[in-house]
Amino acid sequence: MGALLVFLGCGASPGGPDGSFRVALVTPGSIADASWNAGAYQGLLLIRDSLRAQVSQVEARTPSDQEEALRTYAAQGYALVFAHGFEFQDAAERVAADYPETIIVITSGQRVTGNVVPLIFRLSEATYLAGIVAGSLTKTNKIGYVGGIELPPVRMAYEAWSQGAKSVNPQVESRGTYLNNFDDAVAGREAALAMIRLGVDMLHHNADAAGLGVFQAAKEHRGVYVFGSNADQSDVAPEQVLGSAVIDLPGAFLAVSQEVLEGRFIPRVESFGLESGVIKYVANPALASRVPADVMALVQEAETAIISGALQVADRETGRVIPGKR
Amino acid sequence: MDPILAQGFLEASVRVATPLLLAALGEMLAERGGIINLGIEGAMLAGALGAALGASSAGVWGGVGVALLAGVLLTLVFVIVSVRFQADQIITGTAITMAAVGLTGVVYRHAFGVGGAGLTLPTFKPLVVPVLNRIPVVGPALFGQSVLVYLSWAAVPLCWLLLFKTRWGLALRAAGEDPEAAAASGVRVIGIRAAAVLLGGALAGLAGGTLVLAQVGTFAEEMTAGRGFIAIAIVVLGRWHPVGVLGAALLFGAATALQFLFQAMGLGVPYQLFLVLPYLLALVALSGGMGQARIPTALGRPLVGGQS
Repeated sequence: MGALLVFLGCGASPGGPDGSFRVALVTPGSIADASWNAGAYQGLLLIRDSLRAQVSQVEARTPSDQEEALRTYAAQGYALVFAHGFEFQDAAERVAADYPETIIVITSGQRVTGNVVPLIFRLSEATYLAGIVAGSLTKTNKIGYVGGIELPPVRMAYEAWSQGAKSVNPQVESRGTYLNNFDDAVAGREAALAMIRLGVDMLHHNADAAGLGVFQAAKEHRGVYVFGSNADQSDVAPEQVLGSAVIDLPGAFLAVSQEVLEGRFIPRVESFGLESGVIKYVANPALASRVPADVMALVQEAETAIISGALQVADRETGRVIPGKR
Repeated sequence: MDPILAQGFLEASVRVATPLLLAALGEMLAERGGIINLGIEGAMLAGALGAALGASSAGVWGGVGVALLAGVLLTLVFVIVSVRFQADQIITGTAITMAAVGLTGVVYRHAFGVGGAGLTLPTFKPLVVPVLNRIPVVGPALFGQSVLVYLSWAAVPLCWLLLFKTRWGLALRAAGEDPEAAAASGVRVIGIRAAAVLLGGALAGLAGGTLVLAQVGTFAEEMTAGRGFIAIAIVVLGRWHPVGVLGAALLFGAATALQFLFQAMGLGVPYQLFLVLPYLLALVALSGGMGQARIPTALGRPLVGGQS
C-alpha cells in the first residue's frame, strides 16, 4: 500500500540565481500533521522563497519507498535532498554511494558518511523544560507520554520529559505508550484516555498526526493539559496546550541550503540545541496565567544551565539523552 | 480490577469495537453473497474524509451523510469492475484501497490546506441514556456513548433480519453458495451481489465516519490504519453471522483497549507484547473456531456462464 508516492509541489519556479538550484524533501508521513512533517515542509517553502530554489516534496513511508524516493531525486540531479527522519539513514547511505553529487541531509541522523550528513536536533533539551513545567503543575503526580514508533528521537523525548519532571518533583510517576504508528489519531486518543483514566493530568506526545488524538482527549477532560512537540502546537488546542518543545526546522533547513547553494558546505555533524535558537520551549501565551512565575523561573534556570553546559540533558555530538540520575 | 478502571476499559472496548462492527457487518453482507471486498479499508478511509468534509460545512449529521456517500461511491468502482465485469476481486479490492490512500490525501489537502483540519470539526457528544447509564461499571460503557454506537448495535438485528428473514436475504445467500443454481432458479445474481456490496460500502463509509465524528474530531491521512482488514478477519471470526460478528468485534475492541490500559499502567513488560495482543487473540480464536466455520461456498468466485 505504501508503494503509493504522491509527488507534490513540483513547482516550476525560476530556481536559483543560475536557475538550477534544486532542493527536495522526503517525509516519512503526511505534511498535514501540524508537527514534525509540517515543519519540514515549511522549511522547504522557505528555501523556495528565500533562495529561489526549485523544490519538490514526496511522502514515503516504508523503507523501500524511502530509498526509491531518495534515488529518484538523486538521479534527477537534485543538489540537496532532505531525508526527514532518523529512519532514512541506511537508505540514504546506499543511494549516496551511487550519486556523490547530491548532498543528502538526514534530520535526526546519526553520522557523516560521504555526502550524507546529519542534522542533530537536541529537542530533548526543550522537552526537558516542558517536563519541568509538567512536573511542577501536576496535581496527581502522574504524567503521560504518547509516542508514535519507538525511534530513538521518540524514545529520547520520553526520557527527557520524564527527567525534567522528576528534576523538580521526585514524586512524579511517568507513564508512556507507543502506538507503533504515526497516523492513527484514534489510537492516540485512546492511549491518552487510558492514561487520563489512571489519573494522568499532564500529557506530552511525539506521534505526529496520531498526536492530534492526544489533544482531542485533553479537550474532553477539564484539568488535563498537553505539551506539543516539534512545532508550536498552541493553536491545536489553545485551552489545553501549556507549551511546546519546538524545532525551528525552517531556520535550520535554510541555513544548510544557503551553504550548499554558495558552495561552502562542508560535510559535518551539525548539532542544534537551546543555544542555537533552533530548539526552544515555547509557552502558550493564552495560558500563561496557568503557569506561576516561580515555575517559569525554574524553566529559565534550567535553560541557562543547559546552554552554559552546567546541565547536560543530551550529548552534543550524538544528540542522545544522557541517562538521568537527576 | 478496580471499578473505575474496569469502567474505563469497557467504555474503550465499545468505542474501539464500533467502527470494526460497522465495517464487518457490511463485509459480511458482501461475503454472504459470494464477494470478498478488500476495498473496505479504502471505503473506510473515504468515509472518514467524507465525514470531515461534511461535518466542516453541515455539522455532524452532514458528516454522516457524506461518509455514507463516500463509502458507496468508492465501492461502486469495485462493483462495476469486480461484480458487473467479474474481474478478480482480491486484486480490484486491493487496488481500490491503495487508490483511496492517495486520493484521500490529495482531496484532504485541497480542501483543508497543508495545515489540515486541526481539531476544528464538530463531534457527536455522548448521548446518555437516563437511569440505565447508572448501572455500575457497565452502565456508562453501554449507555453513555455517542448515537453512532447505538446505531451500530441496531445494525446487528437489522442485518440478521435482512439475511435470514427476507426473500432478498435468501437469494443473496443462494448467490453466495451456488451462483449458477441461484441464477437458474431466477435470482439476478449480479444485481443482488452488487446491492449487498454497495450496502457494505455504505457501512464501511459510516465506520470511517465514526472515527472522525465520534472519536477524534479530525482527519489524518491513513488514519484507518488497517481497521478495514481487521474487519475482514472479524467476519471470519464471527462466522459470517451478525451476532458472531458483534461478539468478534467486541473481543477485538476489548483486546485493543486492554493493550492501551496495560501500557498506561506501566507494568514493566515490553510494550510490544501488548501491541500484538489484539492480533494474537484473533489468531487464537480463529484457529480454535475454524473447525465449525462455514465459508460461503462461492466466496470470491464469479458467476460462471451467462449474465444474470
